[in-house]
Amino acid sequence: MTLDAAEPVRADDAPDPLDAAHRSIEYMYERGWTDGLPVVPATRELVDAFLATTSRSPEEVIGRLDHLKRQVTVEVAAINAVMAGCRPEYFPVVLAAWDALMAERSTVGGGWQSTSGPAPLIVVNGPVRARLGFNSTGGVFGPGFRANATVARTIGLIVRNPLGVVPHVLEQATQGVPGRWAMCVAENEEESPWEPFSVDGGVAAGVDAVSTTLVRTSEFVDNRHTGDPELLLGDFADTIARTGSWIFRHASAGVVFCPEHAQMLAAAGMSKADVRGWLLERSGRSKAELARAGKNGLSGNVRRQDDDGELEGFDRFFADDSPRNLPIIVAGARNAGISMVVRVFSSWSGAAVRIEPPR
Amino acid sequence: MFDRILDPTGLSARPTGAAVAARRVPSLKGARVGLLNNTKQNAAQLLAEIGKRLTERYGAVVTIQRTKGHVALPVEEPLLKEIAAVSDVVVTGVGDCGSCSASAAADGILFERAGIPAAVICSDAFEVTARAMAEVHGDPDFEILLTPHPVAVLDPAQVAARAAELAADVAARVSEAGR
Repeated sequence: MTLDAAEPVRADDAPDPLDAAHRSIEYMYERGWTDGLPVVPATRELVDAFLATTSRSPEEVIGRLDHLKRQVTVEVAAINAVMAGCRPEYFPVVLAAWDALMAERSTVGGGWQSTSGPAPLIVVNGPVRARLGFNSTGGVFGPGFRANATVARTIGLIVRNPLGVVPHVLEQATQGVPGRWAMCVAENEEESPWEPFSVDGGVAAGVDAVSTTLVRTSEFVDNRHTGDPELLLGDFADTIARTGSWIFRHASAGVVFCPEHAQMLAAAGMSKADVRGWLLERSGRSKAELARAGKNGLSGNVRRQDDDGELEGFDRFFADDSPRNLPIIVAGARNAGISMVVRVFSSWSGAAVRIEPPR
Repeated sequence: MFDRILDPTGLSARPTGAAVAARRVPSLKGARVGLLNNTKQNAAQLLAEIGKRLTERYGAVVTIQRTKGHVALPVEEPLLKEIAAVSDVVVTGVGDCGSCSASAAADGILFERAGIPAAVICSDAFEVTARAMAEVHGDPDFEILLTPHPVAVLDPAQVAARAAELAADVAARVSEAGR
């Protein structure tokens, strides 16, 4: 059997609705509207159900790339959310995630077109997690959970469709990032010893909120080896300061701690600020190590090879210990000491966005 | 039968621009050359070397060298006007990344619309994105001068050699006599 949007598969007079469903999927592939996976056809009725979940006007422009002459409205975002597989009640989360993303410096410049191929990391806080079924525990980086998967996917479809940043054309990622358009984690507030991540973004604990930043990749730190919090943090500092990720004078990196690691640090009396302060001091490389990677010198703010450079001394990875440069999140299962370092693309905006309550 | 499926691009009312090419200068002899550097590694050096060759070989005069405020976005209007005021032709680049190659193409089109013939230099690895951007800005056939990738890692002698290769193409792009 061949499957083609233009040709009915069955010739009889009583078409099987499943045939039409399959052909509609092919139709949307042919239009270039998908990220490579099948999408759900967006009809007026479905889109209206999504629009009914928000007080915002369908015509409101929520993002624009003036240099590409493209923009996205609330209604077009809803069309893409339907296509991504969202349920209507997820739409306020999509809008908040999008607004949080637009507060990032890179997303309104050329970030989506970049050879580095950055990806949003979306963090959900508040009662909305349980209400809509966002995963905050085992396998939090996905897949397997509709809310996490489809909210993240919607962002990718919006960048592709209304903003027009399509791979191999205006999108020039050299390799891209594993998990692009798929990273939406709910914070494990129940097992975190610290205040929610949204509090670092200015939204009170217990309020539904989304925070988003662009990241380049994620690298695990598996440490089930020590009960000493400083040795544990030393393991993180080593991964954080990997020279391959280090392009400018300073860099940013976030940590998504598993509950076990977070609880060990908190039991030693460390707040999130204490952890950031520790990592600020110890994350970095000696000048000699940087020289071996051709990154010991500086040309303006960009690292470069300096054959005559000083080999004594230590360069700090972070410019400071603000949550913007070192966001800390707690997510995952409490079953092992496995956490994730995430490579923040430039820096986090530092702003969480409230999710509109159900109407 | 899929008329009920809504379009996710929001493009139904997309405006289209028209291609506008500036009049070429008759020759580069005495022509004022503006150089617009997009901040990429080796861009300033390559443009300066091209300027030197346009001066030596064709009798042009480099009147202004400026750097864009944002590598990923098209040239700001005040900067465009500042350069256009003292230039008969403009050389810009180097398109050597995802967003800056696209914006370099847009810059060339903006200068052409302002009446200044423009040569845009781009790494050949970014040809597709530069052409896509030219289409976005209403001039799908806009000519982009390609140089082999990569540019950022070249040493000064290699940059000078690239400039030597590109100078005749730049002259052909912006002047009648160079064709």
